[in-house]
Amino acid sequence: MARLEWSREELLEDVPTDEPLFAGGVRCHGGFAGGRYVSPRTANRVPAIRSWQERLRSEGQPLVDVPRAFVPPHYPNYPQAKLLLQEGVRDPITRSLTLISIVEGFGARIRDLALPDLRREVVEDIAGTALAHLGGGLFEAHARDEAGWRDQGGHKQMWEAARDLGLAKPEIPDDVLLAMMGGNGRGERRRLFPELAPRLEESIAFLANVMIVEIFAEDVFEWAKALLGDPEVSAEPAGAPALVAHIQADESPHVEYLRTALSELRARTLRSADGKRELAGREVVDRILETQLRQIASTRPARERADVQGAIRLALDDTPAAAQLARRFESLDSGWTFPKPDDERLVLLAR
Amino acid sequence: MTRLARRARVELERGWRATRIAWTATCVWLREKLPQWWDRALGRDPDARDYSAIHLRNAEQIFRTATTLRGLLLKVCQVVGTRSDVFPPEYVRTLARAQDRVPPRPFAVIRELVERELAKPLDAVFASFDPEPLASASLAQVHRARLVDGREVAVKVQYPDIEHIVRTDLASLRRICIVYERFDPQPLALLPLLDELQKHLALELDFRREVENAERVRALFRKNPDVVVPEIDFAHSTARVITMELVAGIKANDRAGLVAAGIELDEVVQGLTSLWNQMIMGLGFFHADPHPGNVLIQPGPRFVILDFGLAKQLPKGFGLGLFELMFSMMTENEAAMVRAFQELGFRTRTGDPETYRRIARRMIESSVRGNTRGELSEEMTDELFESIRKDPIVSVPSDFVLVARVFALLSGIAHTLGGRPNTLDSLGGRN
Repeated sequence: MARLEWSREELLEDVPTDEPLFAGGVRCHGGFAGGRYVSPRTANRVPAIRSWQERLRSEGQPLVDVPRAFVPPHYPNYPQAKLLLQEGVRDPITRSLTLISIVEGFGARIRDLALPDLRREVVEDIAGTALAHLGGGLFEAHARDEAGWRDQGGHKQMWEAARDLGLAKPEIPDDVLLAMMGGNGRGERRRLFPELAPRLEESIAFLANVMIVEIFAEDVFEWAKALLGDPEVSAEPAGAPALVAHIQADESPHVEYLRTALSELRARTLRSADGKRELAGREVVDRILETQLRQIASTRPARERADVQGAIRLALDDTPAAAQLARRFESLDSGWTFPKPDDERLVLLAR
Repeated sequence: MTRLARRARVELERGWRATRIAWTATCVWLREKLPQWWDRALGRDPDARDYSAIHLRNAEQIFRTATTLRGLLLKVCQVVGTRSDVFPPEYVRTLARAQDRVPPRPFAVIRELVERELAKPLDAVFASFDPEPLASASLAQVHRARLVDGREVAVKVQYPDIEHIVRTDLASLRRICIVYERFDPQPLALLPLLDELQKHLALELDFRREVENAERVRALFRKNPDVVVPEIDFAHSTARVITMELVAGIKANDRAGLVAAGIELDEVVQGLTSLWNQMIMGLGFFHADPHPGNVLIQPGPRFVILDFGLAKQLPKGFGLGLFELMFSMMTENEAAMVRAFQELGFRTRTGDPETYRRIARRMIESSVRGNTRGELSEEMTDELFESIRKDPIVSVPSDFVLVARVFALLSGIAHTLGGRPNTLDSLGGRN
């Protein structure tokens, strides 16, 4: 069997490169070897994830996955965004790309997740699993990828550079941070398994949430590559989408280690907080994942879309021939409808 | 008193104030310089000497002068007490006490001014007027009163002679600073501070401006039922008197009172952080003096914001720059932190980015040691300003100083309540 135990330093190790990546004048992570982009911290992380997945397969356990059919398309979609740029309505796109960069950066908070002692919470041995390496390098690598580290920029800075290249260093709207505010961080998740230690349930929900968000981000990458690669509206139709493609490549290990860790938990047995009961990991993980998926695919994006829609309408109102432009914009809408949270088709798929 | 006698009294008082200020300044300067001259005469390095005892003695003398002369000097002490980027810690700690040491003016003086400003006898406007002030500060004091229509109000009254005192003292201080900068080979940049103070004071002394600020903050939070800004009674407000709705609440740092009222302390801490983040980073206009007396808490919690004398419109892009600074510190990204310093308007003597990098590294190390969660806490701003004093940064943007002071005040409240604000949670960084 392939090697299953890795040190933190090994999981953070870079593949040697010939040339560093500079984005918008900022030294970023990763680099180029033989002309090809190499993601950061992948010298051992990628083979490690592959070996943990192989182990799962050899044990006859599936890898969890989520249905792509409900991944909501980015709003505004590519033709709508292109129309806005062509008509000089740049703020909504600048705001959107800036928010993406900030949200990516917030991904670094994964290193602050206070994981419980999984060796105590899980009945079976977890040695040689992704689970056992979450706090031992996987979270840290993920955090550094998202927000950069020390003298290197990460995805946050790469998204900013892609925006500045594609839109020729646009002025950032003043309200960009306000768009993220409003809550006060007091919200608490509803407990689905009160018999489990709160920290364990919270950690599983967090992992599930991040995994789904990462998978749903696929559409954002495609949208950004198309828009920033369009010579009719992009100032750098080669450089800007290339940066987005690099970020997309870097994200792949994130999705894979999260899927692996959740699948490993699913294949095991969890102890209740009082130690008197045992719960099948499958039951716990499936229910938490499904609950998260229902929320992330339905109410949350629907609300976000309504906010963006409101901001775009205001921006369109400021243009000459506002009504006509608004009609053209609406005619390009994808017609996407968000599923209801209780939609029966929103079920977890295990592969 | 005849006009001549009154004029003579004013001139005498002006002379007395100027002399006392000049005497204090001379003592302070000589206490700093004599040991340096002595060391040089003996061929020793003056920089190797420990000046903390001298600084402390000087700060105590300035504090005594300020509490005797009051008015502008108290304000100056309050400003120095917030500028740990410029002044040694002994000055900052000692002079920050000026915030709590403002004796009230006699009621007769206050009554005379209110009647003059409102052009009516006190009884014609107020059914009752408490002669004991609720609070007194360097420029004004606040009384509880009831209007003849029965409404309970708070009346903020500017001290009658304060404009004259401010003008006189500013002129004295300016002369002293000019002399000091001419004679000292490496002077602290005091004149820019004085210019800034003069600008702020002109705004603070016009209460119509404060009323405008209050209305602006009320408008910003019109959709947030958790924020309370007292209603202004415009009919009984002037450039020197503000009459406003009296709103009850518990002082934000009254831990026992909040617990007794069943208010969650964590929610107070997080709510305060969230509100000021919205003002500073989201809206670009903020109340710049959230000391515990200016923020009251009602069950909910709801946040009552008082005293808008010091409010500030931030320049475009400042909120995002500040966010980048805090975020890069949290994510241990030195390079991004350096860019944020530059975008915020910090300037080094040589233009060498290595200066920023050293400061960034020091703050990140301190943040990692203290397990910071994205807040610009009192400890972190102390760390920053300590680094800046040691490294040759010549320009710290005044807006940043003001904002850092706000975060330091909020982190002081959080510390008293036993909580830790999480800046990034309040920005939506929680999944």
